[in-house]
Amino acid sequence: MEKKSLWKFGTREVVYAAIGAALYAVLAVATNFLQIPSAGNVSFRPAVAIPMFFGVVFGPIVGFVAGFIGNIISDLISGYGFWFWWDLGNGLMGLIPGLIALSIISYRSSRSILKAELFVIIGVLVGMALASVSEMWVSGADIHTVIFGNFLPAVIPNLINGLILVPILMVAYDAIVKRSGR
Amino acid sequence: MLVTWRYRPRNTLMSRFDPRARWIFSLAFLFATTIFWDARFLLFFFVLGFVWYFSGGAPWVDVRRGWMLVGVLLFVMIVVNTIITGGGAGGVVPPGGNLVWPGGLQLPFRLGLWHPGLTYERLWFAICQVLRIGGISAVFLVIPFTMDPRLYGVTFRGLGLPDRFAYSMELAFRYVPTLAREFETTVDAQRARGYEVERLQGGIIRQILNVAPLIVPITMNSILMGEDVANAMDLRCFGQRRRTWLYQLKFHWQDYALVTLGVLMLVGGIVVSAVFHIGGFWVPGFWLRMAGR
Repeated sequence: MEKKSLWKFGTREVVYAAIGAALYAVLAVATNFLQIPSAGNVSFRPAVAIPMFFGVVFGPIVGFVAGFIGNIISDLISGYGFWFWWDLGNGLMGLIPGLIALSIISYRSSRSILKAELFVIIGVLVGMALASVSEMWVSGADIHTVIFGNFLPAVIPNLINGLILVPILMVAYDAIVKRSGR
Repeated sequence: MLVTWRYRPRNTLMSRFDPRARWIFSLAFLFATTIFWDARFLLFFFVLGFVWYFSGGAPWVDVRRGWMLVGVLLFVMIVVNTIITGGGAGGVVPPGGNLVWPGGLQLPFRLGLWHPGLTYERLWFAICQVLRIGGISAVFLVIPFTMDPRLYGVTFRGLGLPDRFAYSMELAFRYVPTLAREFETTVDAQRARGYEVERLQGGIIRQILNVAPLIVPITMNSILMGEDVANAMDLRCFGQRRRTWLYQLKFHWQDYALVTLGVLMLVGGIVVSAVFHIGGFWVPGFWLRMAGR
């Protein structure tokens, strides 16, 4: 029996990465109506759970591609242009939870869900930190602007969305796995 | 839910360039611009960026959303942080400087004197930030409206990305309209079961939980669909040998010229900055004379 590799990117992974990216983009645009109460132009993006979930289930490369390409496509559809560092940050939000992909046996066990939640937190912090810090280099912002203008407004909604929706998706996926014997 | 790409074929100067050359030029432009804080260099890149932007012919009605986002970012970064709070400057502006309001500002309603830390140097830095961010935004904002989405896969393959990653990107573009239709079907099905999409009640956590009945079904259906697609691709020997692409890209003389320009810009910027130590933050004399210096 072939030993599974965490970094494998075969046919199955190619397809799931593409579906994850397309799903992230479509759901990001479709659920854009959620707004933080009385916080002006900042909108929640529940779709951010998609690259995290795809990473947990299919591995870090799938998670990265789903986040990276998904964010690019989402910005293309919305007309926001191309923001490389934020695309990379979204990719990391999918890649880091994917590091536990091989260690999960049951997607609905508390242990697996807690592990996934922990890596979701790490992924969001690292991904958004990279994207925010890039502003210091590109636009000359100082650390306070970066933290309060970019980092916190990105991290808080992404954490809330990820921590709530990723376990729900994992439990639903566990039912599919059991039913189809994957 | 109708999902359409914002790209429209236009017979413009930019459309005559190979997408690979355009990406190389854009990335070289980004890295070259970020080398400098001298307004004279930044002005050059600002003008070049907008010449490039206008050569794309993207109409305002398409790009205004992107520019609004840039405007918001600039406002937060410059007006709020650099000007109002006196922060910002990213370690570029030396400490101290000439205060714009050395005697402080009298606040209304007897709130007393406010001593903002804004200096003429920080104000000039804010102008440099506008030039820098404006130029970079102009070059990258125009990409979605002037680059054919069907060419993304073959473009990145041509730039050295492995076949599988490039194909994954192309497949993602292909699946967007399909999943948008699936999403619409899911919304209609949930609506028939009494789920009200338009009236999500409650706080933000309750609203997120209420979105789950939309996200979960479409995600699970997509995963099941993906299994069939992967099997079909395996049956057609996907990944066994180097893949050919439906669209072929070919470099012409103008593409070589564009790439050369980009490389010269980047290399020149590195040499000017690292070897001759030119291009750092600089405040012109006429600006300091406004401070009485």
